[in-house]
Amino acid sequence: MQFARPLAELIAQLEKLPGVGPKSAQRLAFHILRMADDDVRRLSESLLVAKRSLRLCDVCQNISEGERCEICSDPRRTDDVICVVGEARDITAMERLNEFRGKYHVLHGLLNPIDGIGPEQLKVRELIQRLANGVSEVIVATNPTVEGDTTAFYLAKLIKPLEIKVTRLAHGMPVGGELDYADTATLLSALEYRREI
Amino acid sequence: MIWLESLGVEGYRNLATMRLEFSPSINIFSGKNAQGKTSLLESIYLLSSSQVLRGSRDGEAIQDGSESAQVRGEVAPTGTELGVDLGHGKRKRALINTSGLPRASDLIGRLPSVVFWSGDLTLATGDPAARRLMLDTELSQIFPAYLKAFSAYKRALQQRNALLKMAQERFVSDEVFESWEVQMVAAGEQMRHIRASWLETLRPFAVETHAAMGRAETLSLEYVTKEPGDLAIQFAMERRREIARGATLFGPHRDDLELTIDGRSVRLFGSQGQQRTAVISLKIAVMHAAQATLGFPPLLLLDDIFSDLDQERRKALVEVAMGAGGQVFITCTESEQAGDSLIGAAKVFRVQSGQVEEE
Repeated sequence: MQFARPLAELIAQLEKLPGVGPKSAQRLAFHILRMADDDVRRLSESLLVAKRSLRLCDVCQNISEGERCEICSDPRRTDDVICVVGEARDITAMERLNEFRGKYHVLHGLLNPIDGIGPEQLKVRELIQRLANGVSEVIVATNPTVEGDTTAFYLAKLIKPLEIKVTRLAHGMPVGGELDYADTATLLSALEYRREI
Repeated sequence: MIWLESLGVEGYRNLATMRLEFSPSINIFSGKNAQGKTSLLESIYLLSSSQVLRGSRDGEAIQDGSESAQVRGEVAPTGTELGVDLGHGKRKRALINTSGLPRASDLIGRLPSVVFWSGDLTLATGDPAARRLMLDTELSQIFPAYLKAFSAYKRALQQRNALLKMAQERFVSDEVFESWEVQMVAAGEQMRHIRASWLETLRPFAVETHAAMGRAETLSLEYVTKEPGDLAIQFAMERRREIARGATLFGPHRDDLELTIDGRSVRLFGSQGQQRTAVISLKIAVMHAAQATLGFPPLLLLDDIFSDLDQERRKALVEVAMGAGGQVFITCTESEQAGDSLIGAAKVFRVQSGQVEEE
């Protein structure tokens, strides 16, 4: 069956989004048609406003409303520890802790030659430039995957000669979890990185 | 002992929707060719390994006209239910007690099995990939550490190969190469360590079984590595050549398990009889070694082996199957082929046009 042209166009645009296949795109499109006019207008405006008013923070490359993001402009946060994350959303996870008082750096991806991504495609140069100003530790908080481990190792190789401490988030048992339910890969990591008590 | 108490299939190859209850010892699927015996065996293998057999793709196991295929199995004595869902254009999903696992491979190790099927002959006749596949499959079931190292190695290898191709077009720094190579060396060394020590367990069983089959010849198994020394150094030294080839030429993914009889390569110089004997000896040894390591016998899945084997090898295999004390599944065209001693102890299922009837 052929869809009316505007509907086909809407489906085609939605399909371009990550994680949205042809079926989901159709479902979303039909849902949008049933929405109140006001809600549709708000949705389309928020898309444009978000796109127009957001940019990358000059310092940490986080998504920001201005030249500097809120975290980088916060005078209560220290400059000497930088936590490196793969994606901007990872900052939200770290910030929930209300524990880390340093600043962040967003790489916007991980090394991944299969997808054509080398250091030049990531915000690595921007990170190295920041290190001149009295940074004492870089915490690499990339995902515990092969790509995350490789990226962490690569960063350590670049940063360690500058005599800055490079650390990596530990991986192991989920706290409060039961040994019986831990997946084997996690349990193996926990065993490998066990520590004396 | 761990065994498969029941099996449920839906939309799987030509099999009707069904639920079967098995014997903890010997189960025979008998029927004419192309009736679904091997599919039944394969669905059990799928629960064990999260893989389909005979090198086919997952989608091919879905019944014509069906959206998806589902396999469920209840494992005794724990009562754990294992499941695998296959769907067209969807990722394969593995389940334990109806909750989905992050990766299908997380199912591996819950129901260890050793398969004997006609494709095994490539262990003697085929290239090294066939023997590595056997090692990887068996070791992943027995050692979670192997599965973890193997998965990491495979991923890092794909990435490094992509990097080598990238380096044909543009400059890639040594630091980037080394970062990938470090992952490969760490995972690769662990793979080799586990493979080599497993071979020490395996070897005496293989030699003994081979000798017991009445040949005055000596079978030997050697693990062969291509590079002369340290893998990290080899990567660094050969990088230019590897860039030109666009592929990683060294590492555990190029190693081999060499089979020789009286010092001569089974693959190159073995007679058909010698090759069959070597394969049977190797697989029986795999089963014994798995049992020795796990502390209980793995499931034995024997696919249509009787028509292929002569009296003597058949007898050797049946004795092993009976002697292991674990759960055994056998497919054959005539249940009589299996021999009286097996049938007496077995639960026999007759398979016809995808329907299964208990005898």
